[in-house]
Amino acid sequence: MNYFVSESSYLFNSGTEHSQAKRTALFNAMGNEAKFVTRNYSRFLNRDLTREGLTQAEGLNMYDYFQGITEVERKEQPLRLLKQIPLDEYHLVSTNPNYTCMEHDGRPIAKINVMPATVGLIDNINYRDRFGHDVMRENFDWRGFKSSVDYFHQNGDLGTQLFLNRDGQPVIEITHMNIGKKVQPTMWKLLNYKGHSYRFNNENQMFLFFLNELMSQNPGSTIISDRRSLDPIIADVQNAAAKFAYFHDTHTPDVQAPVHGKLYDAYKLALEDRPEAFDAVIVPTEKQRADLAQRYPEDHFIAIPDTYVSSEQLAAGRAASSNREHRIIFSGRLAPEKQPEHAIRVLKKVLDQVPDAQLEFRGYASSDDEQKQLDEQVKTLAVEDHVTFGPYLAPTELPDRLKDSAVIVQTSREEGLGMNLIEAMAYGVVPVSFGITYGTNDLITDGVNGAIVAQNDDDAMAAKIIELLTNSDLWHKESKAAIAKAATYDAKTVYNAWDGILAKA
Amino acid sequence: MLGIKFRGTYKMNFFVNALMQKQKSGIEHAELTRLRLFNQHDTPARIVLRNYDPVLHQTLKDDGVDEAQVINMFDYYQQTQATPFNPTKVKDLDFGVLNTTTEFEAEHHRYLVYTPQHQLVARVNVRDDTEEVTSTELFDGFNNLYRVDFYDIRGFVTLQQWYSPDNKIENEVWLTPAGVPVVHAFNRADVNGDISQSGWLLTPVNGQVFSFDTIDELFGHFLNQLNDDFWDDKQPNVFILDRSTIADYTMIHFRKPAYRVLHFHNAQASAQDPMHSIVNNNYEFDLSVMDQFDASITATKRQAKDIEARFHPRTPIFTIAVGVVPERLLNAPRVPVSDREFGKMVVFARVAPEKQLDDLVRALGIVHKDYPQVSLDIYGYADSTNNYEARRKVLEAAKEVGMEDQVQLKGYTTDIDTVENKAMMYGLTSVMEGFNLAIMEASAHGLISFTYDVNYGPNEIVEDKVSGRVTPYKDIPAMAEAIKQVLADKSLAQKYSDGAYDSSKRYAPDAVWREWQALLDEAQKRWPAKLAALPTAAEK
Repeated sequence: MNYFVSESSYLFNSGTEHSQAKRTALFNAMGNEAKFVTRNYSRFLNRDLTREGLTQAEGLNMYDYFQGITEVERKEQPLRLLKQIPLDEYHLVSTNPNYTCMEHDGRPIAKINVMPATVGLIDNINYRDRFGHDVMRENFDWRGFKSSVDYFHQNGDLGTQLFLNRDGQPVIEITHMNIGKKVQPTMWKLLNYKGHSYRFNNENQMFLFFLNELMSQNPGSTIISDRRSLDPIIADVQNAAAKFAYFHDTHTPDVQAPVHGKLYDAYKLALEDRPEAFDAVIVPTEKQRADLAQRYPEDHFIAIPDTYVSSEQLAAGRAASSNREHRIIFSGRLAPEKQPEHAIRVLKKVLDQVPDAQLEFRGYASSDDEQKQLDEQVKTLAVEDHVTFGPYLAPTELPDRLKDSAVIVQTSREEGLGMNLIEAMAYGVVPVSFGITYGTNDLITDGVNGAIVAQNDDDAMAAKIIELLTNSDLWHKESKAAIAKAATYDAKTVYNAWDGILAKA
Repeated sequence: MLGIKFRGTYKMNFFVNALMQKQKSGIEHAELTRLRLFNQHDTPARIVLRNYDPVLHQTLKDDGVDEAQVINMFDYYQQTQATPFNPTKVKDLDFGVLNTTTEFEAEHHRYLVYTPQHQLVARVNVRDDTEEVTSTELFDGFNNLYRVDFYDIRGFVTLQQWYSPDNKIENEVWLTPAGVPVVHAFNRADVNGDISQSGWLLTPVNGQVFSFDTIDELFGHFLNQLNDDFWDDKQPNVFILDRSTIADYTMIHFRKPAYRVLHFHNAQASAQDPMHSIVNNNYEFDLSVMDQFDASITATKRQAKDIEARFHPRTPIFTIAVGVVPERLLNAPRVPVSDREFGKMVVFARVAPEKQLDDLVRALGIVHKDYPQVSLDIYGYADSTNNYEARRKVLEAAKEVGMEDQVQLKGYTTDIDTVENKAMMYGLTSVMEGFNLAIMEASAHGLISFTYDVNYGPNEIVEDKVSGRVTPYKDIPAMAEAIKQVLADKSLAQKYSDGAYDSSKRYAPDAVWREWQALLDEAQKRWPAKLAALPTAAEK
């Protein structure tokens, strides 16, 4: 078995989770069993992994595992049809679409929250006492069953969390008590697992126990750490046939000097403190591999792309219309290191020549401030009618937008590879990027399948885009070349790269 | 789902109480006596208990009560009515910590469990000098006491008390033996900052979730559930409420009909002024809602008459003795007075202020002047109220009348037959009584009784000039005179002793059962009308 490990999968995933999910799907498609392993408790994991295109069997969460709920078919559970609510005793009063009050003879005794983005499905029930304190909360899984119960302290802070199996028995307890003067989780206790209980002082200790269980159940397994925060745990895992750390990003903020620049702290463990704990560090590009090999000549580095395009994607891309709107896509988190403000400035310049140009952001803002700044910028530049902040789209949903977009821009300070570009190219979208570390040169040959301009050179970027949007022949030629370039990241090629190192390990 | 164990039996007579502890009050004795009587007459009965009690099933075992006939509310929801005894031993505990070491602290009857680094993991409290675990105080890896687990005597965690960061009991959770939380109590501060039990949640396995403000509300829900579990269109469930304050409100608000009966185990008002005195606080509510019950029970006719006269209930009051004289005693050979120790008086009672036993000593003091043979043996625990005031007063009185040697405090005994077959007289000088089983038993042993004329019980159980003498309340010389008359006249003594034996037949099992049968018949008679008022039942 291959275990690809990260903290969680979210409603809005970043490239790391996308990459991990794609790799899981790739391995399973090639008949090499793999699982997307997560640590954090998430009642929405089924929803989020489904949006990544994974089946339940392809995901494996620690809490789900101990709760015995790794594979439960989803059954929508409307709150009003919940059998545990005695409708001959309580009134359910729908206050608004987000929650319903449970009332006894006119007095609220519980608040029932609706699962986000659903109509009337149960999310949780918050019971309160006669003084109005929240005392207990029952939490329901996306798949429609009660998964955990929370008890509260007097002041409303979380007190005890119980995680249940399908018989309602608690299998994990988390207590929240004092560490010094601060109330925080002090104990994870695994109850009666294979006849014994286990007490842990933190969640990672339990996660290590869990991963070791996986290794002993499936001897000969490979484990890959996809998040630097998990490197210390995976370094301690025993009895794995092979252990890797996969770096999805650059290892130093000093991208001009990747061989000598100061490391991000989180990368120290795998590179300097405990490199021997891993069979190799895997990076997405040959350039980063070479930089790291030069920096740490003793250690083993391998380059394998962190994404691939499926034959279905390529077929869909080739079949897509070549008659596209003047839409420029920006796909990625709206975060400072992605510099989305440059894209807006570029658009302003493009509009001088291409009055119907549109810029469409697809990605969630890393903070409310970030979104606010961008909104203000759009207003100041008076480009409101030409900029769209579209809702986050899951990997299963994004292709529909890509199919009729002309250009994708990348304005980041740094990237690990640029999987967003590869995916867009597969659909014939022409990339225009700042020349950055890493990935730009791997993906784009300037003037052939897109354009590379100097970092932060908005004028140059605007000029390239104007050219593409106004010269149809040029665009068609580069679009075709983009698809051809994406095809070099096809499933078989990428999987063969993996297969090579797994065989060696 | 719940109470499935009881399905198949239908229609039930429930005796409703809070607890069945080792040291019982008259109410618990009355219930056990009644249970035996119902069993002898093949009439289904269950004692229903409200309070959590981790040693209940041991008590029942010791008392020879079939646990299937006792439904404790917590057991019911915890699904532990019939859990076998398999006490948890210290060695059975698993704290989830490897390689712990254990130290015994004899003075606290507990073990201390440590990690290899000598960090405290738990304190394990054990029962006396056994290895049986009664509770564990659990610590997390940061030295916080986060929970205390209580073990049922049968060997499972029954209650978990979760602690707050400032070390107060915050949440209480009762579990099934499989560890599923089913009953919850919360302790929280109100707007004034005063902490009290602020709510209850019932989360039965696969059942509906209910929220309650108080344990009384929860108990009411439980009683309704029992009424459903044992529901029978043909006959009513009968609920005898033996401890009124725990369920009187809820019983007049039952969801579905049942035959609901108030049992007055104590005097409803001052025994000396039953018509005008402030009523017994415990019964104030019940006396105000008697007509919302179906019937009431008193142990004596006199109490029934007083309640009728003052409160005019429109529902019937049944008089049913709370004591039963077993066939064994009724058929035992009678001991003639001449074979008894002349002048020996005994009392079986707690040495408590309301028993006024110092009055009895003073009466005997007067007798003692003419009959130096008289003596008094008192059997019963001394009440600790006001630093054992009652006992002090008895001893002071004995000294005053020069009977230090003749008045003896014997402590508690169960060997009543031996004591009462040797003695001659029985005395009672209480302020008031609810019935008084002891004087009934004394008569059944042929003892000549002397009692103040007090409500309720003594002045009815003792028939004046038949089985002894009933003398005016607080008239010590009158009682002394009555005793002297008996001591002076051997044939009179024998006549009263015979009268005592005979009068106890009023409390023979068959006699008391006839009184119960009258109530059960009335319940049945009223049932069609009650059922007719319930549309869903009528349709069935």
